[in-house]
Amino acid sequence: MTIAPKAARKLTMKQRYSALTRDLDWEPSYVPAEELFPYTRFEGIKIHDWSKWEDPFRLTVDAYAKYQAEKDKRLYAVLDGFAQSQGHLSLTDASYLNAMKLFLQGVTPLEYQAHRNFAYLSRHLNGPGPRFASLCQSLDEMRHAQTEIHTLSNYNKYYSGFHDYLHMHDRVWYLSVPKSFFDDALSAGPFEFLIAIGFSFEYLLTNLLFVPFMSGASFNGDLPTMTFGFSAQSDESRHMTLGLEAIKFLLEQDEDNVPIVQHWIDKWFWRGYRVTALVAQMLDYMLPRKVMSWKEAFELYFEQQMLGGLFQDLAFYGIRPPRDVEKAIQEKDYISHQAYWILYQFSHAAAFTTSVPSDEHLDWLEEQYPDTFPTYRKLWDKERKNVENGGRHFVRGLPQLCQVCQIPMGFTEADDPFIQCQRETIFEGERYNFCSDGCKNIFDHEPVKFRQSWLPVHQIYQGNCGAADLPGVLQWYGMQPGDGGEYLGSVDHENWLAWHDMAETTGGN
Amino acid sequence: MQFELRTQVIEPTRKTFSHLVRRYGDRPASRYEEGTIDLQAVTNFHYRPLWDPSREIYSPDYSVLKLTDVYAYTDPRQFYYAPYVTARADLHEAFGSTLDYLEKRGMFDRLPPAWSSLVQDILLPLRHYEAAAQMISSAAARFGWGATITQCAAYAAFDRIGNAQMLSRVGISFGGGSADCLDLAKTAWIEADTWQPLRKLVEETLAERDWGKALIALDTMDRVLYTLFYTHLDDVAIASGAGSYSLVAQHFSSWFADQRRWLDALIKAWVADPEHGATNAAAISQTALAALGEIHEALCPVASAADALIDDNCHITLDTTVAQVRDAYAALGVNLEA
Repeated sequence: MTIAPKAARKLTMKQRYSALTRDLDWEPSYVPAEELFPYTRFEGIKIHDWSKWEDPFRLTVDAYAKYQAEKDKRLYAVLDGFAQSQGHLSLTDASYLNAMKLFLQGVTPLEYQAHRNFAYLSRHLNGPGPRFASLCQSLDEMRHAQTEIHTLSNYNKYYSGFHDYLHMHDRVWYLSVPKSFFDDALSAGPFEFLIAIGFSFEYLLTNLLFVPFMSGASFNGDLPTMTFGFSAQSDESRHMTLGLEAIKFLLEQDEDNVPIVQHWIDKWFWRGYRVTALVAQMLDYMLPRKVMSWKEAFELYFEQQMLGGLFQDLAFYGIRPPRDVEKAIQEKDYISHQAYWILYQFSHAAAFTTSVPSDEHLDWLEEQYPDTFPTYRKLWDKERKNVENGGRHFVRGLPQLCQVCQIPMGFTEADDPFIQCQRETIFEGERYNFCSDGCKNIFDHEPVKFRQSWLPVHQIYQGNCGAADLPGVLQWYGMQPGDGGEYLGSVDHENWLAWHDMAETTGGN
Repeated sequence: MQFELRTQVIEPTRKTFSHLVRRYGDRPASRYEEGTIDLQAVTNFHYRPLWDPSREIYSPDYSVLKLTDVYAYTDPRQFYYAPYVTARADLHEAFGSTLDYLEKRGMFDRLPPAWSSLVQDILLPLRHYEAAAQMISSAAARFGWGATITQCAAYAAFDRIGNAQMLSRVGISFGGGSADCLDLAKTAWIEADTWQPLRKLVEETLAERDWGKALIALDTMDRVLYTLFYTHLDDVAIASGAGSYSLVAQHFSSWFADQRRWLDALIKAWVADPEHGATNAAAISQTALAALGEIHEALCPVASAADALIDDNCHITLDTTVAQVRDAYAALGVNLEA
């Protein structure tokens, strides 16, 4: 019989947290550890002591449930109020919702993917500390997927483009950019996933990938999305500390991990950065009321905070900035213009609309990009004449896609805005095309993986997308009239004008 | 007089998302449905996993248990994240109040000595069982097919680590604020003969790669274990003046009732499946039968240890419980006759 000792040593907060989390673990002895944790050896990462993992946050299940329930209660109250009061009418313009269409179609499914794979880490990492941290993040990611859906659900009731986002995420050409990015992470091993998503996506690039949508919302009267953004903030800061702890832990465990991690940083910086091309054009072209230019965002959130801060710290471990970072810095002056130009021409096959920027908008772009924008402005001046003559430009053919990032090959060489950048690799007798050295480097390191890419254009030509003609493919995509094309005169635009006329005549709004 | 608030009325163009209209018809959808149905990608995956190139990132083939239409199954509790965390905030708040009360009144010190030993030797080691249950549930959350099932499994995983933490908090409280009693319980789990058959069974279940079979095995073990420790011993505790054991146990038995709701519905759906029903029933039967035999055997030394302490009939209850679990499976359409 055991009697509880009196006047025992009280636990510190850290000891208590440890007793409630990592102390639950034990060394298996009936089944070999390699059989219980089969996936933590093949990547070559060496972990000698899992107990050296520093808990990135100390949240127990009871505290987690309490905080999160309170946050959700507040968030859903805002969503309900906004819906009840027809809050969508106080957006800056219906065209603002193009940013949110892109978000629901492109980002929300990724939150769900993260939910599933952090569950994988919460089972398959050997250490109980990172397992529990991953478990919390897995739940958070489910929260984000669902609260995003519920936040944007009300817009779906009144506006086009939102209605079939899951079906489209698995099929539509521009959505294969974010989908292939996350599929790449899920099909990697647990350590690469930690660097790809935990570190690179959630820490290195989060202010360029996720936050711009939330800032755009707050500048454009989108109270629900802004509230969601604030509500997700404390979750995100936990995710950031997890990502940072993950990289430090891997680097500190063994020197041999350094080159492996360096390669993953190189790879996932470029992978993530290419996805931000969609964010860049959103910031510069899709927001009726601008937050900041892509260039400004890139300089602040990446060059200053990451290159000037984080990578100075990581140098201590022998980690250098990502390999192709110079190219990304060069591109900050033009990537958004090229990305939007691609989307502008192909929006008849997309679930968002595009339009020629207004004069005021063009002036703003020229102020932001004095060195490069004059070239692109000429393009828009010409296009405006086309529109005036009834010839709004849509590309009727199908573009060649980069084998890795899957963006149509419309980016140019840094020193010449008229020369398309194209790289290639021959692998086992087949030619593969890339938009950049960054993407080519990624392919060359893992050709067996990246030759598998489900390239939407190839798939159309192979007859796997419902039909051989555009209307047939759009039907297979799940597109409805009003989802894509030109904004002016679109279903959303017409409705917006009618609703606001109605508001004026009834004295509402 | 009526309260007349004038608002601008705009008829919505759509009631909900297209994938829900295709499934349920043109009607408004619930937040559970919008947040769950079809959420997982099912097609056009880009790359095969490096850790298992024989399968897709998501695939029904990670288990022998399959549903023809996976979204024919929904969680009877309709839990999406917000109601889930709200329900669990309530559960943990109630548990916290219990623990406050027990501490304030020095209730653990007032336990009859035999029950004090039972808490130390039998109750506290179960926190390790719960931790393993989290991992088994997390595997189902990753490898399951379809967001309704995996969502239930993900919440169950978090529940299990929550249960482990509740037991740990009991241990800390019981140890007067130190981790000494938890340390003793851990040593017992790893070394004491009483616990080795159960620990072996748990480790073997963790090694099961088929998430569906692992879930069935775990659930079979849970059915016996929860009945014995949190229902039966709860009754005995009340009769024996060990009220604090009962106050703790109630939170676990009410959690388990909630857990049963989604799992029983899932087992029913598996067995009733038009295409895979027979295969599912056979696999569930085989897995549950084996697990039931093993948990029966593994808990024998634990029941003996309990009987030695509190002079009860845990052994007989164990046998009865095993028979009841057979009946419970039969009621779900799974025959467990060897």
